[in-house]
Amino acid sequence: MEFYLSLLTLFGFRILLGLSAYVVILTGQISLAQAGFYAIGSYTAGAATAIWGWPIVPAILLGGIVGGIFGFLVGFPALRVRGLFLVIATLAFTEIVRMVFLNLKYTIRVGDRTIGPAAGEGFRGITYYFENGWSSARIMAFTWLFVLAVLLAMWIMDRSRAGAVLRAVGEDELAASSVGINLTTAKVAAMTAGGFVAGLAGALYAHYASYVSQEDFGVLLATFAIAYALVGGTGSVLGPVAGVLFFSLLIDGLRFLGDWRNLLFGVLIIVMMNLRPHGIVDVGLIRRLGLWRRPPRKAAYARD
Amino acid sequence: MSDLALDVVQQALNGFLFGSSYALIGIGFTMIFGVMEKLNLAFGVTALGGAYVALLVFQLTRGPLVLVFLAAVLAAGLIGLIVEFTCFHWMPRDYPLAALMATVGMLFFIEEVIVHATNGMPRAFPAPLGQLMLEVGPWLVRGDLAFMFLVSLLVMAGLWALVYHSRLGLATRAVSQQPVAAQLCGIAPRRVNAAVFVITGLIGGVAGALIGSAVGNLSPLLALPLTVKGLVTAVLGGLGSIPGAIAGGLLLGVVEYQALYFFGIGYRDMVTYLLLFAFLVGRPGGLFGSKGV
Repeated sequence: MEFYLSLLTLFGFRILLGLSAYVVILTGQISLAQAGFYAIGSYTAGAATAIWGWPIVPAILLGGIVGGIFGFLVGFPALRVRGLFLVIATLAFTEIVRMVFLNLKYTIRVGDRTIGPAAGEGFRGITYYFENGWSSARIMAFTWLFVLAVLLAMWIMDRSRAGAVLRAVGEDELAASSVGINLTTAKVAAMTAGGFVAGLAGALYAHYASYVSQEDFGVLLATFAIAYALVGGTGSVLGPVAGVLFFSLLIDGLRFLGDWRNLLFGVLIIVMMNLRPHGIVDVGLIRRLGLWRRPPRKAAYARD
Repeated sequence: MSDLALDVVQQALNGFLFGSSYALIGIGFTMIFGVMEKLNLAFGVTALGGAYVALLVFQLTRGPLVLVFLAAVLAAGLIGLIVEFTCFHWMPRDYPLAALMATVGMLFFIEEVIVHATNGMPRAFPAPLGQLMLEVGPWLVRGDLAFMFLVSLLVMAGLWALVYHSRLGLATRAVSQQPVAAQLCGIAPRRVNAAVFVITGLIGGVAGALIGSAVGNLSPLLALPLTVKGLVTAVLGGLGSIPGAIAGGLLLGVVEYQALYFFGIGYRDMVTYLLLFAFLVGRPGGLFGSKGV
């Protein structure tokens, strides 16, 4: 039981991370900065409870907000570069964040323990759950509260005018701007939302793991974030969920294969992309399932 | 000359020579992007895979260096062809993200094959020149780095001849500039694409073997850094530009060695990335980029 609860909690972090990449991909941008936002969220929220003694909910939200602020800041320079150049620019951001945490030292002593980011040794002692005697079930429920809230918010956003605007920018920037959509607003908003969601995910992860280190937040994590969205599909918020299930079932379900599992992993990604290049849950599938409500027949227009 | 100036020049020299291998990797990324407008994230592991096959050939035959390098080149060319067939051939043309994700899968796969075959342990790679050092005035030139630089120059010259003085090169440039018009002129874009993958694979094989012999060993841990360095090089030079990739690789080598000297290993990559970020924001087209990106 404990195992399944903890697995479900892990799914929660991955889904949030996938959703944070998803909202950015809707605007046609591929961002590897999500791992950086995740790291920032986890260190901020960890510091809030472990060092400043904040309660848990404001701490998690703070992680999300600081992640969102960095998303906003990265969004602006990212406007200058597009497509594959953005991949590299955001990769540089994630690596810089990692290097900063590799060198950041900000610790306090509590009794005989050292708490806080200790440069290369990582951030120990984010023990809010443990100190307050939270059970695995409670941790899982708390995590999923945030996951469901974000899923719901994105579902609503997707079906509103905002979703149509983001998709229009992703489909064709020139066409979108010629019908009066403000590209800057759309892209920066998507990046900010992505930063917020990734920050939340990191904040929740830090409290679950109780120890985080910059090693966890590298290119690999960033790659997985976009992989959840791309393999899962960007037809709906269910895409990243499907992506997480696909990868998680591969990672945890093929354990009986031993070492061969890792070999099969890469092959299955290639096979999936050949079979369903637009992801498992693509726009076509959503239409066929009848989950796609046509956007209102009002033309998108720009505010003054 | 002061000691500091001597050291700075020495580091710049090492970086410049080592940068030639980054240039080769960068050429691979940039050529594929130039022809297909798609990114092949499996190129770093293509080079690494070639180097591992060379190592295998060396262990089996203890053969001469030429044979080892030839094995690397041929194997990486073959891997390039496989990457084209599995990750690009069947993908929709107007959706580059599908191919991007498939090459990520390929990256994981080749990395895991290497881990599987070697139990994840680093393996010593034959160093043809040993510890040979050349003295140039007050500076020392590592023999293997000089060798790396010379071989890279040869490869670049060969590539130049191929791209600008052969029918295949003409077809490649045509597809890169105007894919539809090229097709109307009777060029088969898919065949050109496959040829580009083989050519870049061959180059990657040389780069992999050179890096293996200069570093002294191979490890699956090299997969990600090789990919990232290649991407950085291609972007510094301007994606799609071969001279840009050469300049970008040399620049990256010099900057890395200077950062290592002044700031230490902990900050080396940070300096590199800050440079890259500044470059992308200030000059998004890269050194030689002509297209406004």
